[in-house]
Amino acid sequence: MPEFGALYNAFSTALGWESIAVILGGVLLGYVVGVIPGLNRAVAIAIAIPLTFYMSPYAAISFLIGLSKGTAAGSAVSAILLNTPGESSSAATCLDGYPMARDGRPRTALKIGLLASVIGDLLATLLLIAVAIPFAAVALKFGPYELAAILVFALVFIAGMAGGSFLKGMAAGGLGIILGTVGMDPETGAMRLTFGYIELMEGVPILPLVIGTLALSEMFVQLDEYRRNRGQKAINLSDNQQDDLSWPEFRKTLPTIFRGTAIGAFVGALPGLGPSVGSFMSYGAAKRAAKDPERFGKGDPRGIAASESADNAVIPASYIPLFGLGIPGSVSAALLVGAFMIHGITVGPLMLREQPEMLFSIFSGMLVASLIMLAVGWYGLRIFARITNIPSHIVIPIVIFLCLAGIQVQGYGTFGLLVVFGFSILGYFLKKFDYSFVTFLVAFIVTPMLELNLRQSIILSGSDPAILLDRPIAAFFVVLTLLLLLRFAWTGLKQRKKTVPNAD
Amino acid sequence: MLRINFWSGLAVTALATALLVWVIPTHGGGGFSFGLPPQLVATIGAWIMLISAVTLVMVSIAQKVRSREPLLQGVDLSGIWHQTWPFLYVLLFICLAIYLPLTWIAPLLIGGLLFILGERRWLVYLLCTLTPTAGLYILTVYLMRIGVV
Repeated sequence: MPEFGALYNAFSTALGWESIAVILGGVLLGYVVGVIPGLNRAVAIAIAIPLTFYMSPYAAISFLIGLSKGTAAGSAVSAILLNTPGESSSAATCLDGYPMARDGRPRTALKIGLLASVIGDLLATLLLIAVAIPFAAVALKFGPYELAAILVFALVFIAGMAGGSFLKGMAAGGLGIILGTVGMDPETGAMRLTFGYIELMEGVPILPLVIGTLALSEMFVQLDEYRRNRGQKAINLSDNQQDDLSWPEFRKTLPTIFRGTAIGAFVGALPGLGPSVGSFMSYGAAKRAAKDPERFGKGDPRGIAASESADNAVIPASYIPLFGLGIPGSVSAALLVGAFMIHGITVGPLMLREQPEMLFSIFSGMLVASLIMLAVGWYGLRIFARITNIPSHIVIPIVIFLCLAGIQVQGYGTFGLLVVFGFSILGYFLKKFDYSFVTFLVAFIVTPMLELNLRQSIILSGSDPAILLDRPIAAFFVVLTLLLLLRFAWTGLKQRKKTVPNAD
Repeated sequence: MLRINFWSGLAVTALATALLVWVIPTHGGGGFSFGLPPQLVATIGAWIMLISAVTLVMVSIAQKVRSREPLLQGVDLSGIWHQTWPFLYVLLFICLAIYLPLTWIAPLLIGGLLFILGERRWLVYLLCTLTPTAGLYILTVYLMRIGVV
């Protein structure tokens, strides 16, 4: 159990002016990004990582977590007012949010979305704090066999659950593994896949990789889509006195919010599923549980509450495998790993032993971020509603500039610019051809850890697989991985058999 | 989607084959090791890619044969051009950034794209080009003191 002194210090840090200012900055920026359609959480974090380079590690991580939370809450604004979700995970919010706004109740819809987001986020953060610490304490007892087996299991699980085709997910994961091995081999000192470039000696630099594959490629996708979606107009907030959220109306949505939070937290804790799955699952569950399901899709507040609470609960919950095992379960968690790496911190269970105050400060900062999110969303409603009108043809050129500037500011030079360009092409194809991006990124990030644990396992066991008989946890995960592979292959085949007659 | 799966699977198969046959054996590193040979993990990754991509291609072919869809379809050149020009545009500015600081070419990069996307209001040009450029200048010259980048 954490000591009281450490918890007190953590909360003191999180409640300091400097910390609040940084978190507020992150949440505000996240809100703005979330509100603008086409800019998503991954783009925001990828571009913001260079900004955190000169912050303290705690400030940097708090800023990025605030940003991540802000985008999730902000994306509901464009979903409700514009019928275009800022994030794909807010697509379910459009179903009831936009009809409600069109019926003259945009402010009520936005307030329900905000309160559901904050409650979902806050409860899931408390769950993260309650679960991650005991989880990490158990994980600290694992040896290289267990960790290697868990990492392989997580990769297969993410490839299968991240949406789209399992085969494509595995192919993307394979590419991530290859790129994760680039650089000097820690055992032999041999240069691997560096092609003589000294810049690749320490591996593929994470910043150009994430900016290229996430942010710049997304702008190319947006440019392609701009041709089709130009000229959308958002619904304006009126001064209608009837359009405000009342306590009885909000009370009716509370059971839906709690259910959505539970679903979102469960989905978030499983690596690879992501907030879109959570919000649609929650929406479906709310509709099934309702006595009048026919009202859903026509501006029912419970629809907004269901999707927003789950969407926001997924994010803190997706940090459970990250802080508990060191496995990033989502793109934003993978990006956080990148930020931790830049600041020289190994994220995972070791943090509990080596930097407990840092870990507790981050958790406290997350709670503070939830409350700041409420204040920012509540008082900034009108401003954010106006931001939804910024057309994407103004946003895209500036974001492209920020992508290139982020690389130059970090001193990667021309090599960095070319790497970012190369990865933007790769990211574009991953998105266009529906290859799981999250599997690629997670595989890239966990490969050095996987390789280290595999190497230690092979040396310790003398390459004898029978060692698994003495390591029941590792053996369990190996068997589970094999079963998962069979299950995903079988499900994929069944789905394809089902779809073929339709194609005829 | 079937056609996309087939062609992308074929491309991944080609890439994985090139990695297995040439790139990893030639550039994957060597040397004696007690534990993991330097090329092993990358080779496993390439095999995962290859097996997945070949399976994807086979399954797509089988489905295409059953659904009697053609493998080839007329190429939409205008669509390809719309997807390609942004890459060429950014590449042009990356090439320029080899010779000139990004701060100098930033207004041109942003302004040019605004113009291509149909913006014609001079105030928007002024705000969108000068604000980020000035921000980068202040950040690098005054705050980070690394000079104009």
